[in-house]
Amino acid sequence: MRKILVALVLVTLVVGILVGGVFAEGKKPKIAWCPAISDPFYYMIGKGIADKCKELGLELFVAEYPKAWGPEVQVPILEAVAARGDIDVIITGPTSKDALIAPLKRIHDMGIEIITVDTYIGDGDYSKPSEYSFPLTFIGTDNFQGGVEIAHRLAEMIGKKGKVFVETTNPDVSSVVERVEGFKKGMSEYPDIEIVGVEYCLDIQEKAQQQVAAALAAHPDIVGIFGTNLYSAQGAYQAVVNAGLAGVVKIASWDATEDLIKALREGKVDLVLAQKPYEIGTLAVEAAYQYFVEGKEIPKRMVPGFFFFTRDNVDDPEAQQYIYRAD
Amino acid sequence: MERVMGGQKEWLYRLGRAWVAFFLLGEIVVFSIIGTGFFSARNFQNILVAATTILLLAAGETFVIITGGIDLSVGFVMGLACVVSAKIMVMLQAASVSQGLSILLGCASALLFGLLPGLVNGALVAKLRVPPFIATFGMYGVAYGLSEILCNNVPISGLPPLVGFIGNGYLLYYLPGKALTFFSPPQGIGRADIRAMIPLFPNVFVFSIIAVAIFGFILARTQFGQHIYAIGGNIDAARRAGIPVEKHLIRVYMISSFFAAMGGVMYTLRFVTGRADAGAARMLDSVVAVVIGGASLYGGTGSMVGSIIGTLIIAMLETGMVNLGLPTYNKYVYVGIILVLAVLVDQFFPEFVRKGE
Repeated sequence: MRKILVALVLVTLVVGILVGGVFAEGKKPKIAWCPAISDPFYYMIGKGIADKCKELGLELFVAEYPKAWGPEVQVPILEAVAARGDIDVIITGPTSKDALIAPLKRIHDMGIEIITVDTYIGDGDYSKPSEYSFPLTFIGTDNFQGGVEIAHRLAEMIGKKGKVFVETTNPDVSSVVERVEGFKKGMSEYPDIEIVGVEYCLDIQEKAQQQVAAALAAHPDIVGIFGTNLYSAQGAYQAVVNAGLAGVVKIASWDATEDLIKALREGKVDLVLAQKPYEIGTLAVEAAYQYFVEGKEIPKRMVPGFFFFTRDNVDDPEAQQYIYRAD
Repeated sequence: MERVMGGQKEWLYRLGRAWVAFFLLGEIVVFSIIGTGFFSARNFQNILVAATTILLLAAGETFVIITGGIDLSVGFVMGLACVVSAKIMVMLQAASVSQGLSILLGCASALLFGLLPGLVNGALVAKLRVPPFIATFGMYGVAYGLSEILCNNVPISGLPPLVGFIGNGYLLYYLPGKALTFFSPPQGIGRADIRAMIPLFPNVFVFSIIAVAIFGFILARTQFGQHIYAIGGNIDAARRAGIPVEKHLIRVYMISSFFAAMGGVMYTLRFVTGRADAGAARMLDSVVAVVIGGASLYGGTGSMVGSIIGTLIIAMLETGMVNLGLPTYNKYVYVGIILVLAVLVDQFFPEFVRKGE
């Protein structure tokens, strides 16, 4: 009797899911892409999103690429997009892990699903119920692991000893915070390496350049610098070149912009970590499609890998696809 | 002037006085027709929330501009108050004070602290005869530098989570036919109900409009308000008439920096962070809003209602651009044109100028 009951329940469940799936089908979501900032990385995500939407026949609304990074720019854009009333999913990169919780929650309460890419809100763990666990998923590089690997590679380059410096963007942006944490973790394995400072340039290249120049003046014996995103890294190598230390101070950088790849070829930068923004974009659209059209459960975290450029492999044909080219 | 205009010209006069209001109406109509979902309670409330920073800065600036002065420090006084409030909240939270009390004390002390720059500006302008442009430009630098020092050049984060829920919350949540709750959405409602729910009266806008209304009343309906127009109209005549010009000027600059501080506190509530550059981008917008609203930089004219309309014209334009998927920098072109238009209309049709009454 019990077996029959269990079997009945199981059959009902399976049929229910199938029927539910069939009924749910046909509702193609309209997607809105709200980039966090106007930079090559976000343009690449946007390209991935646009291509995938075209492939799956989904409607796409692209909001403007803001010139500055920050909630005061981003929140009004998100709210204006949500208020259009024709959007089912918003894909965005939250510009602050604290400040974006309440505004995104309010948009989610309007019945719009949220996918965060590149950066997350709260601690990024959407799988446990919390005030910030409402987004559908977070798709982004494992920044901590990237930071750890950069630390090991930079340590090799500088002979596992000496002073290193970190130039990063914001203390409240999940992606770069984790890169720095991972870097510290990796470096902690080398007793002869000292991290002499972490500075925040708020995504302003000129500020990064000033801060690195000041650090080089304060510690003339710095042998390695980690720039955690393109503005940090570009500012860092400019400061190093201006100080006449190109080649002496090793620079590890994050994000394979054409500018940084060129700098790598010219010997101004020594290591470039490429994320896979195009893949992040396509994954985000696939997740939305599977959730709305196929009624599938979406994993709360998706992790595209990364790729390391050095002067040895920068001209390899198979490496070219990882350079950010959004044209 | 009024004597000349009778009958036929009367309608033209009324129309002229309200031309900015008609412009705003035009914006609403155009965006509602070509935009998507623009004409909705939700969207208009968003616009009001987005307008709070300009609204508050413009409210204070209205007083100053009517006296014939200008306050260039409002943007960074706002940043200073933003940093101060955030910093105090974080410190109190670390000392395990309750969230609510931390927030209350943080906001209150930032507002009080915000009176200081105005006191200094006012004293410089009134007592030491420093031109307002110079006095407040000096304060612009001092306030900016101070706030960067206070926050070590990095936005303050890690505020109590409740901050964001106050700053992004509404006074009322209405679920048609089912529930009406204050301050937070009804508990335990499903996803479908959530879609149907209508939140009403965004908190930060309510706080702001109350302050603006009170000072709008003071400006239009009290003796102090009348004196301000008199000072702006002719400062020497005002002195001869026995108006305490210096005392009033100090008050006016304190009102301006109080509103700036309030802008900073509202920013902290909305964005859960303390930033030195919180108001930097909005300083000019606020002056533009006041001038579009009919104030003359030579002093003596302007009104709170005009400044509110000027603010809405800018905010409506920004949201409309996003709604249409246009880059928002287009707005600078339009705002620039409207600004010059406003001044031209006031110059060529002096009978339209909105004087305080």
